[in-house]
Amino acid sequence: MVADFTRDERVSALIVLGGLILAGLFMAIAGRNDLLGVHGWMIAAAGLWGFFAMVRGFGLPEPPATRLAEYYDAPTRVGLILTLLWGIVGMGAGFWVAALLAWPDMTFDVAWLSFGRLRPVHTSGVIFGFGGNALIATSFHVLQRTTRARLPDAISPWFVLLGYNLFCVIAASGYLMGLTQSKEYAEPEWYADIWLVVVWVVYFAIYMRTLARRKEPHIYVANWYYMAFILVVAILHIVNNLAVPVSFGSAKSYSLFAGVQDAMTQWWYGHNAVAFFLTAGFLGMMYYYLPKRAGRPIFSYRMSIVSFWGITFMYMWAGSHHLHYTALPHWVQTLGMAFSVVLLVPSWASAGNALLTLNGAWHKVRDDAVLRFMALAAIFYGITTFEGSFMAIRAVNSLSHYTDWTIGHVHAGALGWVAMITFGALYSLVPTMFKRERIYSQKLVELHFWLALTGTLVYVFAMWNSGVIQGLMWRTYDETGTLSYSFIDSLVAMHPYYIARALGGLLFLLGTLTALYNVIMTIRMPAIGAHDPQGDLPAEPALQAGE
Amino acid sequence: MPFDHETIVGFAKSFGLFYLVALSVICLAWTYWPTNKKGFEEAAKMPVLEEEDRPWH
Amino acid sequence: MFGFHYRIERSAMGLVGFIIVVASIGGLIEIAPLFTIDETVETAADMRVYTPLEVAGRNIYIREGCYACHSQMIRTLRDEVDRYGPYSLAVESSYDHPQLWGSKRTGPDLARLGNKYSDAWHVTHLNNPRDLVPESKMPAYRWLLRDALRTDDLSDHLAALRAVGVPYSDEQIANAVQDAYGQANPDSPEAAGTAERYGEATNLRVFDGLPTKLTDMDALVAYLQVLGSLTDAAVRTETAGIE
Repeated sequence: MVADFTRDERVSALIVLGGLILAGLFMAIAGRNDLLGVHGWMIAAAGLWGFFAMVRGFGLPEPPATRLAEYYDAPTRVGLILTLLWGIVGMGAGFWVAALLAWPDMTFDVAWLSFGRLRPVHTSGVIFGFGGNALIATSFHVLQRTTRARLPDAISPWFVLLGYNLFCVIAASGYLMGLTQSKEYAEPEWYADIWLVVVWVVYFAIYMRTLARRKEPHIYVANWYYMAFILVVAILHIVNNLAVPVSFGSAKSYSLFAGVQDAMTQWWYGHNAVAFFLTAGFLGMMYYYLPKRAGRPIFSYRMSIVSFWGITFMYMWAGSHHLHYTALPHWVQTLGMAFSVVLLVPSWASAGNALLTLNGAWHKVRDDAVLRFMALAAIFYGITTFEGSFMAIRAVNSLSHYTDWTIGHVHAGALGWVAMITFGALYSLVPTMFKRERIYSQKLVELHFWLALTGTLVYVFAMWNSGVIQGLMWRTYDETGTLSYSFIDSLVAMHPYYIARALGGLLFLLGTLTALYNVIMTIRMPAIGAHDPQGDLPAEPALQAGE
Repeated sequence: MPFDHETIVGFAKSFGLFYLVALSVICLAWTYWPTNKKGFEEAAKMPVLEEEDRPWH
Repeated sequence: MFGFHYRIERSAMGLVGFIIVVASIGGLIEIAPLFTIDETVETAADMRVYTPLEVAGRNIYIREGCYACHSQMIRTLRDEVDRYGPYSLAVESSYDHPQLWGSKRTGPDLARLGNKYSDAWHVTHLNNPRDLVPESKMPAYRWLLRDALRTDDLSDHLAALRAVGVPYSDEQIANAVQDAYGQANPDSPEAAGTAERYGEATNLRVFDGLPTKLTDMDALVAYLQVLGSLTDAAVRTETAGIE
């Protein structure tokens, strides 16, 4: 990594890392009586580690000018590994919290092992750790290939990737210590939120600077989705996390919003985190890797554009369906419901577009587990968006809300769509990124596919069942007009489903472990034409990147 | 103009509808405008046709 | 006419601008009107603020992630009103920064938990729920009784809450630490000050049953015991609007 930096970039890196150390020390001193201090020391340590790595490599020769005739893929390679590592952390935590719901005494009197603290480690671990790293890694790859321009410099992609992972570590370790804003999927406290904004601005700048140097006049649609992901997540993140810290020495902050305004802001954020983090970003992934792997252009490029604007416009209205029958004004609930239903049109257009692309390539889907991952992802995307629109209808929501049905719906999307498309993209990327001829074992990919599919089905069916049973038990009256079941009756009825759910999660986790093993073994295979990677490049120096 | 709840809700409901319709029309017209067809079809081939794994220079 | 579109398509900044405009409208139209708050949230003249001890307890509720399994939002549905009590009004969480409405009921709703059980029940239940409810899935929070409550920064907490709109007085902010102590030690000289600043209806009790020590348990139980009783507004409007 240091060897890829020019001298100027090495100096800039030292300045940035020096700043990070100082910020960490400031937090450590200001927050010496608070958990903020722990995070201060962690940040200072991360900065120090980077600083020493940079100093040690400072004397290395500068990278040759010939590098500019190549794409810059090193951050993507590291990003792919981080994706899998976070996947295992996030899914491992998920399996554990699922088991805690079946056997709650496994908390062992250790505060950080309790359900409430581990649960955000699971959600943030899979959404931000696994999903976020996958998006960053693939976006760098897709951006360069579709603009045919190299990333603008070497330092900013590393800043984004490593800075983002620092955010993830701060977030997850904070939850274990009890630091959380309690807003779902926006749990990290104020200082982590500010850091993420900095990282995000650089991420956006990379996109704009690369696009500005493209030779191809048209911006390929995958980049539209990635850009919507970057931009809208920035808007959501900043607005929903507006808060006043207790002091600069305290990790705790109080949200600027209260009550009904806060609830609406939170679910405007929460729902659109699903829309622009877990949907738009991964649709970008799908629109590049699926046609590429199938060897066929997307069925209807124009439909992908219509779906893009449909999704970008309509998702933003749908958040209030999380608040049906609550103290939120009725008209806002109705608006949210209407848009959620209409949203099915662009969603199904996207899913249909993906599946129609595979028309004529179904033999490849049959033979190639990698393409099958992506095909399955498109199917689950279709199922989940239909279910989502259905559940947003007020009458359905009165039954489904607060129950495990919601959890089942979320996992149909997260396991079936997000993770499957990620694994598909990851398997098709790893051999080319690491310059290996093929993936280490196609059989293991096959095994992973079936583990993932079985795990998802077991999980989702368990939660559909338990959710509907729960919802019905809560609203059943006997002939005398009193409620038939106590709350604890409904909880007892959930027990077998909670065990099944943990089992489904375990299968999915095993699949991810298979993927990690397969990727490591692929990297350990000899490279294609194992010689100096710069050896067969044109001799004349290329244009300076960034000019 | 008084910024009370009813006014804002009224504006949201009326303007929101026009905005939705106008946006859909613009988006559909542009996407399916016949002269734009060729460009989009070429763009669609981008991930598939790209052979040389190297930036343009 | 379509030169404009080509520009959007070809200029990255144009695409960026368009995405921002298109995406922002939905949020603006739905959220902005809610801030014309007078009409969104009913007024309740009797609405009181959380005491410093209750604020600390609420922060423990957040720290332990209780909101992940317990909602605090009774919907306007007949079975919910029958099971949990009068449906929740917006005004009841108007001092909640952030709200804890929740999204999942692995455990029951807690919006009207206050004064439903005794302090001793809560202490035993939090310490190990299965001592009282054998089928419970809730973790045993044994550390709450062991850990001393941090109170030294409570004035800062109240000041921050005032900055975001909760009407704490200068007096309440200045005396936050002793008010927290007084609330959990009714026989101490500080207790009179707590009652004076937060009203006679404030619960002044040894919540955790340990008079000598101010624990996390004191704070959490104090918070749980006021859930749903910051105002009577919900009881007054009970029957309207149930579906």
